[in-house]
Amino acid sequence: MTWWDALVRAGAVPAAYVPPASMGRTDADDYAEPGADLVEGDAMETFAVLRRPSPPACFLDGIEHWKVVGYDGVLPVVRAYVAAAVRRRGPDRRLRTAFEASREFAIAPLAGLAPERRRALEEHCPDVVDISIEEGTQPGRVLELARRAVDSARQALERALAERALARLGETEWLVVDGLLSVSGKLAGHPRALGVIKSHGAQFFSGADLERALTVPADTRTSVFRARGGHARNEVYSWYLRLWPWEGNDLLYGLLRIEARADDATIANAGATSGWLLAERAPIATPDMRWDRLLYPIHDVETYLKARAPRDLSASRTSRLPRTGT
Amino acid sequence: MIARPDPVAIGRVVATELKPSTPHQFHFWTANETSIGIGAIVRVGESVGRGDVGSGRVVYGVVTDGFAYSDLATPLHDVIGAEGDPARAAESPTVRQEIRYWTAAVLRQVPEEPLQPVPLGQVFVASDTDVAQALRMDAYLHSATPTAIPIGLYTSGGLEAPVYLDADFLLGPEAAHLNISGVSGLATKTSAVEFLLASIFRHFPAHKGKVAAVCFNVKGPDLCFLDQPGELSDEDRRRYDLLDVPAAPFERVHYFAPLKADGVNLNTLRTHPELVDDVTPLTWGLQEVVDFAEVLLNRDDIDAKADAFIDYLRDRVLARSFDDGFGNSHNVTTFADLERFFRGVFDGLETSGRSDTWRTHHIATMRKVRNRLLNISTRCKGLVTDDGPASDLPWGAFENRAVYVIDVANVDPLGQDLVFARAVSKLREHLERRDLGVDAVVVFVDELNKYAPGDGPETYVKKMLLDISERGRYLGLVLFSAEQFRSQVHRRVVGNAGTQVFGRMDMDELATPGYQVLSPATKIKLATLPVGELMVRHPHFTQPIFVRFPKPPVLRGRDGMGRFPAAVDLPFEDAVARQLVHMDRRIRPNQVKDLIADRTEEDVRRALAAVRQKRPEDVLAHFRKMLGGRVASDAPRERQVVPPLNPISDEPY
Repeated sequence: MTWWDALVRAGAVPAAYVPPASMGRTDADDYAEPGADLVEGDAMETFAVLRRPSPPACFLDGIEHWKVVGYDGVLPVVRAYVAAAVRRRGPDRRLRTAFEASREFAIAPLAGLAPERRRALEEHCPDVVDISIEEGTQPGRVLELARRAVDSARQALERALAERALARLGETEWLVVDGLLSVSGKLAGHPRALGVIKSHGAQFFSGADLERALTVPADTRTSVFRARGGHARNEVYSWYLRLWPWEGNDLLYGLLRIEARADDATIANAGATSGWLLAERAPIATPDMRWDRLLYPIHDVETYLKARAPRDLSASRTSRLPRTGT
Repeated sequence: MIARPDPVAIGRVVATELKPSTPHQFHFWTANETSIGIGAIVRVGESVGRGDVGSGRVVYGVVTDGFAYSDLATPLHDVIGAEGDPARAAESPTVRQEIRYWTAAVLRQVPEEPLQPVPLGQVFVASDTDVAQALRMDAYLHSATPTAIPIGLYTSGGLEAPVYLDADFLLGPEAAHLNISGVSGLATKTSAVEFLLASIFRHFPAHKGKVAAVCFNVKGPDLCFLDQPGELSDEDRRRYDLLDVPAAPFERVHYFAPLKADGVNLNTLRTHPELVDDVTPLTWGLQEVVDFAEVLLNRDDIDAKADAFIDYLRDRVLARSFDDGFGNSHNVTTFADLERFFRGVFDGLETSGRSDTWRTHHIATMRKVRNRLLNISTRCKGLVTDDGPASDLPWGAFENRAVYVIDVANVDPLGQDLVFARAVSKLREHLERRDLGVDAVVVFVDELNKYAPGDGPETYVKKMLLDISERGRYLGLVLFSAEQFRSQVHRRVVGNAGTQVFGRMDMDELATPGYQVLSPATKIKLATLPVGELMVRHPHFTQPIFVRFPKPPVLRGRDGMGRFPAAVDLPFEDAVARQLVHMDRRIRPNQVKDLIADRTEEDVRRALAAVRQKRPEDVLAHFRKMLGGRVASDAPRERQVVPPLNPISDEPY
């Protein structure tokens, strides 16, 4: 018997609701309002990038899936799954899993649950994350708190896995992380760790610098800058790199922001690093809609994780019409 | 008991809504680098994972198709990724995820009932035991009275497992006959039959009695050297050991070939001085031919009147004292006697001025039958003798595990038909009476496209082949047939073959409806099959199986001709002397030449045939006796061929 069956037996109303925001991940901190200091030159500039062979590398990504499996009154009880993996690219150019971790858990406002439901949950589910709410909190707000809890669990898993991977990284091997590098001190300080950010909610510049950064042509990078404030819990250097021409598409089409260790070597090597990242645009990460910014190895890690995730947490393709029959 | 290591799974069954597992088919994936391919046999074991309870069901399947694809959404994306430069595509730092996806047809499920869809289990390469189970060979391989005949080795993924046919289904009585198709010139069809005969001779179950083979050599020197060892590689010898078949040529081979028109030189390519002594001349007289008069008549000839007259001849005239009504008494035993009989009747009708009818038979019908019968001695001179005794196969004294090769490669097609019809009829006759000397006979006929075409006229030979294929199994008369284009052979001949074997096939042939049941991948494999590999269908196998057989242990025809080139025809005197010397080594050739110096060739041939048939103690004395006696009593012959008759109508005969 699963813990959610036990919960229903204890009087909860069964549910099977997969919130639209539950199948992906967000770089929420990226939407903060940070600032930036140029560390390469005095003004924002752009530099043509020459494609170059990729060094040995590992790629890290994580996923999160969650859904509401029951209600105690109007309080939702959520089943969540987070996973992360590091896939190493071998000499045969194929990716193989080096590290992986996953966590399946329940999220519930335990204080708000009826005693028997709470007892059923705690007895049958070994991993329950409590979210504290005030009395009378709307269910929508609870779901938002649940989403944050899942997000944070996923980030913790990724961080732990990244630090494990760093410890076993080869002498010339790089670790490319999907998302922010600055979330971890060890990651942010490693000379061969890179963060690849696809979403650009955070605006580091304004005016002409902003325009120059966001309209950087294809095969070109911007000056390196120090990201500060907002999301930047650990100091990192960053720059923009355009993989594909944006003209005729969208301003952010093919645009990546790269994070690396805050060190002079990063500035010196920004061109070379951009060169091999540019080479990573092939093969194209289709059929993912974000293929213009999604590096194929990251896409591969995500596909791997999704393939191993519990199938019943995925959004059903069928409609949510009332069930018929017995 | 030797502990066997746990097998390692090489794949996993996957089923989707669009491609589900069924009781007869399933799909699985493997690593990109895998040992399996089309034709590989695999075992599916139901996986018992966390919380699962396995039912213990085991499924055996054979791979019928394979697919490989990557996560590429459309080919255009590859072009975009490589910016239109194929060289750059190969330089991408990461290789796309790709899949090796296989389709397999179910060979067997254990338990067999209830029949259920193939479970989503792990896939293993089949072991020896699995192959036996999958092909249901365990039933006849390990029974109290095993009937297993090895046909080759199943080879896949480093495994070499013998594949056995069931003698009850290969040689009767349950099913019988074998048909083999394949393009010419790859040394597969004949080689496969040679190997299989060797295997049958080694493994034919004792409780089923004795077995022999009659092979018709219809082209070149194909079957002329079955008693001579061929060159075998160590690999071939190892395979012979695995199959428990001796890697040696046939121990007992008897060759039969008609004589050439000169009546003394053999009409075969096995005339090398070292080998020719083993060839027995095949010569038939009127008695042997008349029962197969139908063979000599084409469809236009066959009518009730001709039939009735032939019956009359057979019942009232041949081999008995007969008065033709014109004062002539006949005892017709040879073609020469028959010619005299007809001349007597026609002369009698002419001189007596009677009507065109003789004993209810119209003279035109009689002329037609006369021409057909007498012409055979001209067209098949050497096989059919005008006069003299016959030399025939040892009906009633067939040896166990012996091969009887009848070489008709250089014989007129009419003569080939006659040889085939008579030999098969005699086999059937003796098998029915159980006095052939063996209990089962394998008859090997190549070039079925010629002898039993699907759309040709209804010939006597085709009827015989149909008869064997439909009724032979009850008698122990088994047809092993071969052809290039199976689709163009009579459907009932190939359809009745319980075991069907395919060598490399022509793509055009594979496009015909008869091969629709095969997957495209299997067809491609068939079209590119290497020498020594076959696809086998057998009643116990629910799917075709690919097997590899060793090179036959006998000298191939082409190699044989290199090692034992055919001798040039000897002059008449020398040829006669050689035959007599062969029968009695004490005879000196000059003695023979002196004896025949003043004799006609006809008389010498007749005397020689008599000696061949009798095999006396004193060969030369008997030859002298036969030569003297018959020469003195016979009037000299004026003509060697049937003279034209005075035409009495526009009748073309």
